[in-house]
Amino acid sequence: MKNIDKRFAGVHALKGVDFDLYEGEIHALVGENGAGKSTLMKALTGIFPKDSGEILYLGQPFNPKGPKDSLDAGIAIVHQELNMMDHLTVAQNLFIGRESMKRKGKGWLLDEKAQNKRAAELLSRLNMDIDATEKLANLTVGKQQMVEIAKAVSHDLKVLILDEPTAALTDREIDDLFVIMRDLAAKGVAMIYISHRLDEIGVITDRVTVLRDGEYVGTEKTSELSKERMISMMVGRVIYEEPKSHSMVAPDAPVVLKVSNLNAGRLVRDINFELRKGEILGFAGLMGAGRTETMRALYGADPSTGMIEIEGTPVLIREPLDAVRRGMGYLSEDRKRYGLALRLPVSDNSVMAAYNELSPTLLLSLKKLEDTAAEFVDKLDVKTPSLQQLVKNLSGGNQQKVVIAKWLIKNSKILIFDEPTRGIDVGAKSEIYSLMTELAAEGKSIIMISSELNEILRMSDRIAVMCEGRITGFIDIEDASQEKIMHLATQRG
Amino acid sequence: MAEADTTRVPADQKKGLDMQKLLAPLALVIIYVFFAIFGRNFFSYTTLVNILDSSYYIGFLGIGVTFVIITGGIDLSCGTVMMAAAIIGGTAYKTWGWPMWLSLLLILFIGVIFGFFNGFLISRLGLPPFIATLGTQMVSLGTGSIISNVRSATFPARGAPDSWFKSFFKYITPNDFSFPTGALLLFGMAFVAYIVLTRTKMGRYIFAIGSNKDAARLSGVDVKKWEMSAYVVSGLMAGIGGIAFAAVYTTVMPAQGAGFELYAIAGTVIGGTSLSGGAGSVLGTMIGVYIMSVLRAGLPSMDLQAQYQTFFTGVVVIGAVLLDIYRIKRASEVRILTPAQQYREEVQGTIAEKTQALSLLTEEREKQLLKGEIARMKAEMNGVYRQMRSKERAEQKRQIAQEKEFEKIIKRELAQK
Repeated sequence: MKNIDKRFAGVHALKGVDFDLYEGEIHALVGENGAGKSTLMKALTGIFPKDSGEILYLGQPFNPKGPKDSLDAGIAIVHQELNMMDHLTVAQNLFIGRESMKRKGKGWLLDEKAQNKRAAELLSRLNMDIDATEKLANLTVGKQQMVEIAKAVSHDLKVLILDEPTAALTDREIDDLFVIMRDLAAKGVAMIYISHRLDEIGVITDRVTVLRDGEYVGTEKTSELSKERMISMMVGRVIYEEPKSHSMVAPDAPVVLKVSNLNAGRLVRDINFELRKGEILGFAGLMGAGRTETMRALYGADPSTGMIEIEGTPVLIREPLDAVRRGMGYLSEDRKRYGLALRLPVSDNSVMAAYNELSPTLLLSLKKLEDTAAEFVDKLDVKTPSLQQLVKNLSGGNQQKVVIAKWLIKNSKILIFDEPTRGIDVGAKSEIYSLMTELAAEGKSIIMISSELNEILRMSDRIAVMCEGRITGFIDIEDASQEKIMHLATQRG
Repeated sequence: MAEADTTRVPADQKKGLDMQKLLAPLALVIIYVFFAIFGRNFFSYTTLVNILDSSYYIGFLGIGVTFVIITGGIDLSCGTVMMAAAIIGGTAYKTWGWPMWLSLLLILFIGVIFGFFNGFLISRLGLPPFIATLGTQMVSLGTGSIISNVRSATFPARGAPDSWFKSFFKYITPNDFSFPTGALLLFGMAFVAYIVLTRTKMGRYIFAIGSNKDAARLSGVDVKKWEMSAYVVSGLMAGIGGIAFAAVYTTVMPAQGAGFELYAIAGTVIGGTSLSGGAGSVLGTMIGVYIMSVLRAGLPSMDLQAQYQTFFTGVVVIGAVLLDIYRIKRASEVRILTPAQQYREEVQGTIAEKTQALSLLTEEREKQLLKGEIARMKAEMNGVYRQMRSKERAEQKRQIAQEKEFEKIIKRELAQK
């Protein structure tokens, strides 16, 4: 792949990226969130067509129009989330869409027997210890992943792309997977291996290509590349704004929120942290580190165990309702799904959390509600033609402001901002930044999840870094650097 | 990926909403006038009373179902719950010898209990509303039959002792002039429901839940409680409907009532309440219910019997839902403009501005000049647009042809391999 360019509306996602892959090679593709790894792979498999540049495949120009083209040509991708049918057997999953038929494939009836035999042959050829007639749901995640790989390989494959294949696997299963990968490589299959786990990359891959902000940084032999060097290649990004130089929190500021031993499933494990009055605590980490899950558990949106203290008092939070009553507010990373009632007007959305305070009477005092909404719409400078405008017609930045208004009207003390500037244009971004700084100065405490290191460094007074469901470390803003964060973010806890 | 940070012009969608609001009342008036002109003996006081009479119970059910549908749920059990409540009340009066007022209270109580039951299944145990209320439909049907011992319950006929409650729904003066007080009762209830939906916390939360349950929950709304309350309202309305039914029809048969809920839902939907939740109004439901009643009373006046009535009701329902879907689709559509279309929109914008400026001008000569300019711009725009568009179309055709050619080459190469 040479000089690949891809633009989306307003975003230059790939800027002249080069990538080459040899037969039988395992090639790692690494980079931070949003570095362009997935986009590059989507260009290769034809999910998004590239805008310019060329792909040479087996020496021929290759322009896939869709995943089917690339699959026909022998390029397959195995995603992190499995795309298979739980209730069907392994064999049925392997050959879905190209089932064995009776009468030598010409009949009308399925030939399950022949298909099972075919599947068993395939699995044993790949040294996979899996029963072809077992229902997929009865297999472990690791085995399911292998079935997915087997399915890909059965398409007479030349290139296999593995997107975060080990994220859900145990160490044992990872070892098994690596054996199978080496086996495939020996058979001449080239593999592109996308992972955040830098240690694994050192073990399994032959070469590493690093992307950063859609740009090609370099390709190195794995044996000649240290983990530190890899990290510095990944993060060496230009910083446009100066990071915060020192914490703005008063040294004697009281602890508002204390979380001990919070657990909730695979992605929230033994979380301990404190949040002080007026502090902005940044949560950094790579995709799938469990930051959103942690906050949802803390907020009562998902069931969890652990101890939560607010202003020194232990509290039981079983539902978001409890959290809201205790003065917490949550700004979801997916505001359309979790933050706003899109078909309701700006006014209804902004007062949604505060009906009890604003109008305790049986009949709502519409004027009070409207006035309050108007006051905060004005204060936050939400650009809307009227309060009756439906929220879905606002721009991303203004929608986000409506969510913030909701929590300000409720007068929440602890605000959780999950990716507050995602999908928002630059102007609105800096407005939201200054708003957050103002709120912290007023004594509100803010937890900010962000996948942009820039944003983390610019806004946080202190940074918590997560990896695979655990907090791997805290960094004070005075000592923080991109390298330190990335080091903790790739360190398995 | 960054979403395009532009505010879409909502004018189009606003218009659609107003149109929808007006469409149902307009349809009601048109249908009524149509039958008044073409139907035999339709335009009379008796027929009007008939129309109003036949709508009480469906009307009450419709009000309740509107609450439920706005939360994004459905209540398939309201019809049978209504009849179960009525027959149990009748049994209490006739067989167990309860006083009339207590029997009527029992009817309300039974309705509310079933509402709680539905609400519990759906909001606490997480059953899908369709399944939960389908189950309750059968359970209530059975309960009515069991308690009444599969015997019909007869309420006292008009004039008999204990028939006072009938006057709630129809007041007959000593000189035999009947006045449909039930309609007033229904309108009163509809008004109360309207206030609850638009002016109370409960109403706001019901809309919020229907619009986005997750967001409502994360905003600290007690989703379980308020979702439950919608089903309880539906149950209460079924109870009131049961009393209305007993008043109008006197005899309540066992195992009756399946199908009534569909008329209630149909009325709600015709009135513009969206089955996906988050939008709707009681006023709309009332109009929807009366559209069906007018059809029911009007079609026989044109010598079309009952089977035609169900047929046309079905047509109206399908039409109403289609309209709703079309409206939502149009409101949420993102149009991608080609350069030619963009150019046209821009020029049309400037022309609109100039036209506005035109009305501000007072001097005749200036007006003429501006008019001329506008006309020139229009002509130029049309010409340029046509040219650009035809080029674009040709380019598109060329691309499609190229792609086909490319596919052929790929296939040939694959075949060679």
